[in-house]
Amino acid sequence: MVTRFANWLNERTGWRAVWEAIFLRKVPKVNWFYTLGSATLFVALNQAVTGILLTLYYVPTPDHAYDSVQYITTQLPAGWLIRGLHHWGASAMVVLAVLHMLRVVYFAAYKYPREFTWFTGVFLLIVVIGFGFTGYLLPWDQKAFWATTVGTQIAGTPPIIGDFLLRVMRGGENLSALTLARFFGAHVWVLPAALMLLVGVHLYLVIRNGISAPPRKED
Amino acid sequence: MEDKGKLSRRDFMKIATLSIGGLISLGWAVPAVAYVVGPAVQGNQAEEWLRLGATSKIELGVPTLFKVTVKRQTGWIVNEEELSVYALTEDGRNYIAMSNVCTHLGCRVRWIAEQESFFCPCHNGVFDKQGNVVAGPPPKPLNQYEVKVENDQLYILGG
Repeated sequence: MVTRFANWLNERTGWRAVWEAIFLRKVPKVNWFYTLGSATLFVALNQAVTGILLTLYYVPTPDHAYDSVQYITTQLPAGWLIRGLHHWGASAMVVLAVLHMLRVVYFAAYKYPREFTWFTGVFLLIVVIGFGFTGYLLPWDQKAFWATTVGTQIAGTPPIIGDFLLRVMRGGENLSALTLARFFGAHVWVLPAALMLLVGVHLYLVIRNGISAPPRKED
Repeated sequence: MEDKGKLSRRDFMKIATLSIGGLISLGWAVPAVAYVVGPAVQGNQAEEWLRLGATSKIELGVPTLFKVTVKRQTGWIVNEEELSVYALTEDGRNYIAMSNVCTHLGCRVRWIAEQESFFCPCHNGVFDKQGNVVAGPPPKPLNQYEVKVENDQLYILGG
């Protein structure tokens, strides 16, 4: 029954070829460090699921942000868990992405023909850090407020354009409702779109080029 | 290659991947469902006894209007709402307390002393002193609150 449906679907969609390309491709003999990319992808999935759930209750305005986060954490069933997964997942994301990058460097996997995969990875790391930076403000507590004050101040340090950059990030002179709203917008719309696009290209290239074997001494 | 009935390495990995993956998915799905439906199934907040006022203010046989504020919490937002309640006693011992909300479409009814009736301005609903429907479209009598008297103060159970 299941096989018959799978065949029926395959005839119309060709899903088996896609499945084989993704999961049944040949890989060289590698070690556990080669799972760090998948681990990062898994945590990204966790961030997406828990993040979507958080937006069901979170309200990004100065008069509601803090209270809605408290409501999620203390009143809702499993709210503490959803928020906790998102909170710790954020740190795990950065750690895993960096470890994955170190593995690629250490095993020289960035070389021909995988340079472009590396570039997309670099942008992915920037996106991940952007997620961390914008997400940090959203709970709208003292730590969030002052961390973003300092963070945007740093963006304001370059000569000539610094002041303009700072104003663009804050949406004005000071941290305000505008800052919170634009950080939220960046966190839930702009960055996820960028992430999905880049992950798509990154994974396509991993599958197309195959993964590199650990280099030997003689190479 | 393998003995019949013995699990091949490939099948073992397949089963292991599926079950671990399934467990992780459940780990997301179960809290997610609780989290999403939570506020919908948490019943009304516990009702509490609200003090209307001194029983001495209630004339025998005349519905007397009391106003009492209740706090209602929805999510993280607390609103104060005013309840208007008509209290009535015929003998100074037994009290009834009626909501002033018309049971037809929720307008506020008023006690008109000359006519000994509650009138609803919206669709001419008329209720008698005890809140029973006399005329008009209301489908049932005015809602009554549970009451108690303590130290000559009248309380209703509401929230």
